[in-house]
Amino acid sequence: MKEKDLYVDFKPQQAVYYVEKDDSSFGMVVSGSQLSHDYLDDYYEKKRNLEANLREKIVNNEISPVYYYMTLQEMGVGDLASRVGISKRKLKKHFKPEYFQKLSLKVLKKYSIIFDIPVVSMLQLMIIKQEDKDKISVEYLKSDNESFIITKIGLKNNG
Amino acid sequence: MDKVIDFEHNMAAHCETGTLTALLRYKGFDITEPLIFGIANGIFFGYLESSNFPFPMFIVRSRPGQVRENISRRLNIKINKYRFSNKEKGEAKLDELIGKGIPTAAQVDFFYMTYMPDWQRVHINVHFINIIGKQDGKYIVSDSYFPKKSELDSETMRKARWAGGHMSPKGFIYHPAEIPENIDLKKPIVKGIKRACRNMIGLPVPFIGVKGIYKFANKVKEWPSLARDTEHLSHEIMKINILLEDQGTGGAGFRFMYATFLQQAAEILNNKDLDDMSKSMMENGDKWREISYFAAKIGKNRDLGKDRLEELSCLIKNRGDYEKKIFSELKKMV
Repeated sequence: MKEKDLYVDFKPQQAVYYVEKDDSSFGMVVSGSQLSHDYLDDYYEKKRNLEANLREKIVNNEISPVYYYMTLQEMGVGDLASRVGISKRKLKKHFKPEYFQKLSLKVLKKYSIIFDIPVVSMLQLMIIKQEDKDKISVEYLKSDNESFIITKIGLKNNG
Repeated sequence: MDKVIDFEHNMAAHCETGTLTALLRYKGFDITEPLIFGIANGIFFGYLESSNFPFPMFIVRSRPGQVRENISRRLNIKINKYRFSNKEKGEAKLDELIGKGIPTAAQVDFFYMTYMPDWQRVHINVHFINIIGKQDGKYIVSDSYFPKKSELDSETMRKARWAGGHMSPKGFIYHPAEIPENIDLKKPIVKGIKRACRNMIGLPVPFIGVKGIYKFANKVKEWPSLARDTEHLSHEIMKINILLEDQGTGGAGFRFMYATFLQQAAEILNNKDLDDMSKSMMENGDKWREISYFAAKIGKNRDLGKDRLEELSCLIKNRGDYEKKIFSELKKMV
């Protein structure tokens, strides 16, 4: 690949690629990602559709939040089970709303650490309307009480 | 404890070769990332189906950690390694090393690298970063995938180092301790090439090396039956592009970086044949990149019918044929 054929101007995602330089030597260049430059909108569209689809299933009591986050974060069943420290069979039970309801706070905390979300998000989904997304800020403040966080919602300071 | 080591941050194609190259260069050993990659026989292919992944996937480099082990053995470099089940001890050791001014590589779950763009953040337990300081409770990180030095707070670092799961990091950290003077690269280069040839054409495993490429070519035609819906299939097909180009490969599934290694190796070994081979490898990389473009295009257009996947399969199979040929030739050259 010649250097000039590879280069893509996309600052949000830069990576190193090895190319053929003008003098025929091979070496590295830093370029933007061609895929993200061309198709990031498509990625987000699919992600939004998947999220909406999964949300509908949660609301209809077909899946649990565990399945919801696992699918959104593209995790394998074996990998997630091992992270939680349970069998795959048991994890699959946690996908079902009726079993999910019996989970202890301790297990929910484990999931929340893996999914990198506040534990409260295992039980509720907070959605900001698309048109207000740029205006609203949400901040999770931890307290000395491990089981309690304060969620601060406010207008963003755009000044 | 506040300490920031004077460490030159550079981006690199791959996290494992990038962190190791940077640490060796910090210790005064002037070596390039492609040489590290080639000497350690990093080039590879494997088609994997496992419950650890949400969908079948392929890998284009050797097992994580093998680059470090091979470089240590072949260049006789002593590397100090630590693994911890106890998080407090693991954190204390890392802080101790940084306190002593020793830049240290850590294995982490990529998902918690909060400075990366959100669309890139996925759970992969085999990401490597160099930790080069700690200030105001935050670790200073040199990540090969990010243009500048970044920060991770202690809690996030803890999650990342003890993520659990498939290939769990278990708090693993390492740093080169002793590097011999005047290392002769000739024999290690030959060894690295021989092993790469063995992995690509010599192993009797149906999903590894060229056999893995053929398996990928066959299996990709079955992907529609594994996907939830068309959008899911489109996402997985477009991920072929990510795995080949954007997931720290230097482009074309490491084939561009391997071509660069062969060119540098040709100069060190004074071997004209290897120089010619580097050009063939670069052309091979161009063809892999065509697969990336093709996958992205049909994925975006949701043009994922039987004929298109047959076409994709054919392009992949051609790479198998070509790599079988060039690795056979390469084997005879060294």
